[in-house]
Amino acid sequence: MKIVVAMRQIADLVEELEVDASGADIDREFVKFVSNEWDEAALEEALCLKEAHGGEVVVVGVDDVDFDQTLFGALAKGADRAVKLSCGFEGWMPTAVRAELLARWLKDESFDLVLTGVQAADDLDGQLAGVLGARLGLPHAAVVVGLEPDGDGFKVTQELGGGVTLTSHATGPLVLGIQAARQAPRYVPISRIRQAMSAGGIEELEVEAPTARAPKVTRLFAPEAKGRAEMLGDKPSEVAARIVELIRAKGISVS
Amino acid sequence: MLLAAVETRKIFGGTTHLERVLFYLLSLVVLVVFFAGLGLRVKKYMAGRPLDAGRFRRARVPLEKPGVSAPIPLAQTGVDIAANRTVSRRNHAVGGAHLLLFWGFLGLLAATIIVGLDYDVYGNLTRIFGGKELSFFKGWFYLGYNAVFDTAGLAAIVGAVWLAVRRIRDTKSSVALDYTRAQKPKSGYSRAAMTAGDHLFIFGLILILFTGILLQGLRIDAAGFPSFERWTWLGYTVAVGFGALGLHGSAAGSAHFWLWWVHILMALAFVAYLPFSKALHMISAPANLAVRDPGNTRRLPSPPSGHAGYQDFADFTSKELLGFDACTKCGRCHAVCPARTGGAPLSPRDLILDLRQYADRKRGIPMVLDWEERPDQSGPKNLEGRLAGEVIEPATLWSCTTCMACVEICPVGIEHVPTIVSLRRSLVDAGEMDPTLQSALENIATQGNSFGKSSRMRARWTKGLDVPIPDARKEEVEYLWFLGDFASFDERLQEISRTLARVLTANGISFGILYEDERNAGNDVRRAGEEGLFEMLVEKNMEAFSKAGFQKIFTTDPHSFNTLRNEYPAYGLDKPVMHYSELLASLISEGRVSLSGLGRKVTYHDPCYLGRYNRIFDAPRSVITSAGCELVEMPRNRTNSFCCGAGGGRIWMDDSVLAERPSANRIREAAELDVGYFVVACPKDYAMFSDAVKSTGNEDRMKVVDIVELFAEASGELALAGAASEEAPES
Repeated sequence: MKIVVAMRQIADLVEELEVDASGADIDREFVKFVSNEWDEAALEEALCLKEAHGGEVVVVGVDDVDFDQTLFGALAKGADRAVKLSCGFEGWMPTAVRAELLARWLKDESFDLVLTGVQAADDLDGQLAGVLGARLGLPHAAVVVGLEPDGDGFKVTQELGGGVTLTSHATGPLVLGIQAARQAPRYVPISRIRQAMSAGGIEELEVEAPTARAPKVTRLFAPEAKGRAEMLGDKPSEVAARIVELIRAKGISVS
Repeated sequence: MLLAAVETRKIFGGTTHLERVLFYLLSLVVLVVFFAGLGLRVKKYMAGRPLDAGRFRRARVPLEKPGVSAPIPLAQTGVDIAANRTVSRRNHAVGGAHLLLFWGFLGLLAATIIVGLDYDVYGNLTRIFGGKELSFFKGWFYLGYNAVFDTAGLAAIVGAVWLAVRRIRDTKSSVALDYTRAQKPKSGYSRAAMTAGDHLFIFGLILILFTGILLQGLRIDAAGFPSFERWTWLGYTVAVGFGALGLHGSAAGSAHFWLWWVHILMALAFVAYLPFSKALHMISAPANLAVRDPGNTRRLPSPPSGHAGYQDFADFTSKELLGFDACTKCGRCHAVCPARTGGAPLSPRDLILDLRQYADRKRGIPMVLDWEERPDQSGPKNLEGRLAGEVIEPATLWSCTTCMACVEICPVGIEHVPTIVSLRRSLVDAGEMDPTLQSALENIATQGNSFGKSSRMRARWTKGLDVPIPDARKEEVEYLWFLGDFASFDERLQEISRTLARVLTANGISFGILYEDERNAGNDVRRAGEEGLFEMLVEKNMEAFSKAGFQKIFTTDPHSFNTLRNEYPAYGLDKPVMHYSELLASLISEGRVSLSGLGRKVTYHDPCYLGRYNRIFDAPRSVITSAGCELVEMPRNRTNSFCCGAGGGRIWMDDSVLAERPSANRIREAAELDVGYFVVACPKDYAMFSDAVKSTGNEDRMKVVDIVELFAEASGELALAGAASEEAPES
């Protein structure tokens, strides 16, 4: 089984993000970039599948700030290959563009599964798996929480709304957006990352600039505050009275 | 003048030639067994890994501190062994009894060797080369020999009986003597053989000693009480006793004959038994003390080359293997261990015994009544399983707070903590750890702090200071202040950091900080077993130091203090490292500040990494007493301080499984003292004990304060807000 894991860097959310002078992107000057946590779940699922059923795990992504760190981390965890696609792109990459670059590379690869994180901080709609699947003309699914080989294909479990899960059978190759792996992403000791770094092993490919059409960002801004929390005081009787008043005001019937 | 007789006695008096041949044959067999046993052990040690500068010696690094990171001088070890100082520590009764037995036994050993030298060596040499068998075992030498070695015999008996009585009497009441495991194997276990072995050892020894004295009495009785034998004062006294009981002449001679064989067979059996039993400690304990190096705990050794951590027998150092063999199961480590006290599945003693049994099984070395039995092949019986994870359970390894109390009190110089960390390294390498520890390590790897906050937030605590703190990367300062994560990021501690900053500024100390370039110093990262991350942190901090201009470092955190002081020199740090308590104490001793009496009754908790690790006990105390506080010591103080439970990465792990958190145990101890303040000198202590004061319901009685808060208040720089409500200063 050959599994490709598509990974990407996102701005580290522990940093205070600021909007840059253009007003259409975050200020990338001082922000640290880290691996997208859902992509790490996808990698973990791929590694678990490999450990259980054998095969090969290939990690791929478009070059971004500190992306090497993520790739070395993946190699240290047990990925067999790490591929970095470079095209000199700068700034925020729309998902459509990322999907195009990944699809171009995947076209020439053979694989059984493409796994990626269900979403990322800059792709909260979780489009990557879907767009990539469409571009490759392959079946795809998102919010995947379970994945097992099943006969000639895979048993794929997805989380739906309202606590419902859906299990389906699909024959590969498949493109899946992973919500959660069967276990929390493993810890990789720094010494193993350093070994991976000194061994090198990242395949860097120069690729042509993307042509995909993507929406243009016109304005990026922090959410605007919509009123404040109201503190109800500390006398129980007053608090209770206020709660009843609020419930009535909201039109909820109190019978 | 005619001498009635030469003062001597006949060696092998009363035995036939055949019996003598039998004795020598038995002795030969016993010596073969004895040396074969020792040989097996020495071969085991040689199969272990040598240290970096010799089989039992590690390489020196610059700036080693005597009594802290430097090895203990051999001369001191000699005195320690001769005076049984490590045995007497915190237990003078047992130490005194052991000292009597120790010297008494050595005396009797010397007595036996002297007789052997006279009869077997000198006698035979003179017979073969001089034609006439001579002896120096006569006259004044004989008299003095008996007077001296009878005293040794009595000392040994008194010591041995004392220890035996104490063992019988205290087995139920003493935590140390209770062999119940801290980590309970699922299959159950029995340590009855170990208990039987203890009794065999001490009562066997007592029997050998008693029969020896009785033999003397019977011999003197049978010989008709020669007057010079009064020098053999103990034997003579016993002989008089036999006489009074009506045992004389040939009856005494015949009793002597039989008892002689009983004594000889027991003594020979003891020699053969020695290398396979608890008695081995007579050799292994002094040997281990001679190579002990508690600096190994302050400055942890690097992993074996090619392995992240210990994986199998060959990874143990020769020194560790010798240390396992030195354990007498005295249980002092078991009693002081905060993990064991709190109900965690770790006892340092059990760990050492498990590793010893594992090593002996691996090497096929038999033991006499020194095994733990269990029905399945788990734990130390699991010779094929993973050393860290199966032979020793992960939960056992993760329970250690690295407080060093075990290393401190071990009378035979075993260093448990470096072994535990070496085993943890294998768990970390396999990614096997508490999820909360994993996220702390990931935070440290990406952000440089365990709080997972942006490194740019590290100096945010300085906001609100009237005088900004100089940036040591931009201007030359005398002191570089290394805060550590808790003092920088924990909201409860940021105010204390600001207080320290104000105090230092007010007193004209030239100091600066590294702002966002400071990283977690890595002390606890290293002790959690993440050596690679530790090295990365050292590199980052060393790079930051190289960009800054300063002469000395002081830290808030005793943990950072330990690694900067003892471990960073190996990576090139050549500046003195101090703790802020020392800086405050020096302000007082140099007369640069005058404190007014606060008149409070307080107790002080020695942080493990400041006190036990780095021997700084007096600086914080001088701050407390100079601030006019009455210091009431807790029963466990200074080197015997009881860990708060946060060290060695434990602060990042779940401690809800404990029956009682060590911090709560400590607060209960302090609550007995009727003091209003629990003074600390460590940010982690402040956090741990503030919680424990609440969880034990002592919030109204005791307030946790940092020494700098006392200092600031006593120097009039700050009024201590919200002192324990009902605490009356005059109490």
